[in-house]
Amino acid sequence: MKNTSTLALTRRRFLGTTMGAAAVLASRPSWAAAKTLNVLSHKVHETVLGTGETDLLKNWKTANDAAVTFTTFDSNPLQDRLFREASLSETDYGVGFMVDNRPTAEIASLFEPLDEKLKSDPIEDFADIAPGLVQGMTINRKLIGIPVRHATQGLFYNEALLEEAGISAPPTTLEELVEQAKKLTFTSKAGTPVTGMILASDLAVFPVMFARAFGGDFITKDFALVPDPVAMEKALETLRAMFAAGALPRSYATTKNDDQVTWMQQGRAAFTVLPFARFAQLNNPDQSKYPGKIKAIEFPVSAALVGKTPMASVTEAWAMVIPKNTKDKALAWSFIKEVSSKRVTLGMALNGNGPVRVSTYADPALIQKSPVAAVEAKALATARATFPPFPEAARAQATMLEEVQLAVLGRKPVKEAVAAIIQRVKPLMPA
Amino acid sequence: MRTKSLAQSLPLIAPVHMLILSVIVIPSAFVVWLSVTKSTFGQDPSFVGLENYIRVLSDPAFRRALWNTIVIVVCAVHIELAVGLLVALLFASGLWFRRFLLVAVLAPYAVSEVIAVVMWRFLFDPDAGPITLALKALGLPILDWSFEPTHAMVLIALLTIWLHLPFTFIILYAARLAIPSDLYEAARIDGATPFQAFRRVTFPLLGPAVMVALLFRYIFAFRIFSEVWLLTGGGPARSTEVVAVYLYQEAFSYNAFGSAAATAWIMVAASLVLASGYVFLLRKQVTGNAH
Repeated sequence: MKNTSTLALTRRRFLGTTMGAAAVLASRPSWAAAKTLNVLSHKVHETVLGTGETDLLKNWKTANDAAVTFTTFDSNPLQDRLFREASLSETDYGVGFMVDNRPTAEIASLFEPLDEKLKSDPIEDFADIAPGLVQGMTINRKLIGIPVRHATQGLFYNEALLEEAGISAPPTTLEELVEQAKKLTFTSKAGTPVTGMILASDLAVFPVMFARAFGGDFITKDFALVPDPVAMEKALETLRAMFAAGALPRSYATTKNDDQVTWMQQGRAAFTVLPFARFAQLNNPDQSKYPGKIKAIEFPVSAALVGKTPMASVTEAWAMVIPKNTKDKALAWSFIKEVSSKRVTLGMALNGNGPVRVSTYADPALIQKSPVAAVEAKALATARATFPPFPEAARAQATMLEEVQLAVLGRKPVKEAVAAIIQRVKPLMPA
Repeated sequence: MRTKSLAQSLPLIAPVHMLILSVIVIPSAFVVWLSVTKSTFGQDPSFVGLENYIRVLSDPAFRRALWNTIVIVVCAVHIELAVGLLVALLFASGLWFRRFLLVAVLAPYAVSEVIAVVMWRFLFDPDAGPITLALKALGLPILDWSFEPTHAMVLIALLTIWLHLPFTFIILYAARLAIPSDLYEAARIDGATPFQAFRRVTFPLLGPAVMVALLFRYIFAFRIFSEVWLLTGGGPARSTEVVAVYLYQEAFSYNAFGSAAATAWIMVAASLVLASGYVFLLRKQVTGNAH
C-alpha cells in the first residue's frame, strides 16, 4: 500500500497553490475600485468624513471609480511620516494633512504649489474659506495647502459645578476666572475632589492664551519674541498662583490633552481650555457624567483690556497638501476639491469638524446642532496661531514650556523664567 | 579532515555576511555619515564635521539626560539582580505552587511596556491612584512623582525593575538549576552553613550567568525609553529626561537628524564604557574556562 496522506504537501501541490493564489491576487482589480487614493491624516480627519451610508465622499468615489485609504497617526508622528514620505523619490500617498505651524520654506518645497491648479480647476467659492487660514498655507507667495479644519480654543466650564459653588454666571474677565477657579477647588456634593482648572503642560497653547489675555504673546506673526515681557510675567504669575492654591492639579507637569477631556467629563475639574470642536465629546452622555452641563465661552481678557483689546484666542489649522513626488496628482486635487466643497464642509462641521468656510457658521443645521457655533465664529474672527512656522519652532516651544513649568511649579522666579525664555529662544529665531 | 579554500567557502558564508552587512554595517555607516552633517526635511545634508557631537555634548539638557540614564541604569540593574537572585534561590530551594508562582514572576515580561506604564500611571496617580490612596490611608508618604523629580526617578526605576526582573530571574534560575546537587551534599557533609554554601558554591558557579545577565541588562537598560516617555514625558521641566528621550526629541520632534545621529553614537559609546568593567570580567572568565 502506498503510504502517503492525501493532505501531504508535494512540490506539484505547492506550486499549483502558489500560482492559483497569485492568479486570484492578480485579478483583484476586477472587483476593487479602479483607483486608490492613499491619504495620510489624523484619525479625526477620517472620522468627520463619515462612513457607509453617511460617507460624505460616496458620490465622489462613485464618479471617480476610486477608493480612499486613510493611514492615520497622532499629530506629531503624522507630520513626521508625511515629511518622510515627501522626501522619498516617490510616494504612494496622494494627499497629506499638515498643521499650520509646520510649513517652513524647506518643508514647503516638498509639496506641490496649488495656485495653478486653483486657477485652471477652481475650488467652489474659494473666497469663502477664511483668508487668514489660507495665508497660513501660503509660503513664499505659493499656496501649498487648502485649509480643511481649524481648532480654535475656548473656555469650557461645568455649569453644574458652578451652580453648586453658588456661582451664577461664567467669568467675564481673566481675574474673575482665577477667582472662580479657586472657589471651585472643593469637594463636590458627589464626593469628588474638584480642581478649579485643568490644563496640559506640554503645549504652548495655554501659557500663550494667558499671555494674550494680558495683551502679550510668545512669538508674534512678525517674529517678535515675547513683545511684552510684563504681560508674559503676569500670565505666569497667574498660573503659578493658581497652582499654589490647588486650582491647577498637583499633576500639572504630567497632564496631557486627553486628561483635560476625562477630568471635565468626570467632574474632576470645573474649567479647561480646549478647541470648541470638543463640545460634543465633553457632553456625550455615554462618556460624560455631566452631559449638557459643560458649556463653552470665549476665553476672557484681563479686566484692564475689556472693551479695548479683543482676545486673540489660539487657533490651529489643518490643510490638505499634495506631495510633489506622488503619482496621481489629478486624483489628489479632485479629492481636495470635493472635501473643500460647501456641502462636505458643512457635513464635516455637523460631525464635529471646525469649519474653514465663513458661510458654514450661518447654516441653520449647524446652529441647531452646535450651540457653540456662534461663539466659535466670534472667537475665530480675532484668533491666530500659537506661533508662526520657522525651522526651530518645535525646539522653541519645548524651551518655552520648560521655563513655564519651572515657573508654575515654583522652582524658578517668574521674572527669571521669562528672561530665560527670551535668552534661550532668541538664537532659535529666524534671521 | 578535508579543508576548503576561501573561494570554496565564501558562497556558503556569504548570505550571513550579506545579512550582517545590510542590517548592521550599512545602517551604522549611514548613521555615522548623518552624524557629521546638518540634515532635516526638505534640505540637502551638508557636512559639518564634529559640530553635532560638540553641540550635543555641550548641551546641559543632554548632560542631565545622560546623568539620569546612568543613575537609573546603575540602580535598577543592580537592584534587579539582587531581587532576581533572591527569587531564583527561593524557587530552587523548593516552593509550594511552584508552577503558579513561576508564571506570576514571569508575567511582567509578557505585558506590553505601554500597557504596563498605563497600569502603573493609574495605580500611582497622585490624586486618585489606588496605591496613592492606600498609602495615604495608612498615613505613609506617597510617591509625588508628577511634582518631585526624585520621586519620578524612583517610580521609573521601580517600573523598569518590575518589567525586566523576569529576564534576570530566568537566567539566574536556569544557572542555579544547572549546579549539581552533589556539590551541596559535599558542602553539607563538610559542615558548611547555608550561607557558606551560598558563598563558596552557589555564587562562584553562578558567576558567568550573573555576568551575562548584568551585561545584557546594562546594554538594554541604557536604551530605556517608553517607561520615561509614557510616565513623565521627561518632565517636570525635562528633569527626568533620559538619553533615548533626548534622541527621540532631536530626531522626531525637532527633525534634527544630524544631532540625533550624533546622540545615538554617544549613547552607544557611553553604554559600552558603563558596561566595560563587566565585559572585561566576562572575557576573563571565558578565557579562564578555555584554559
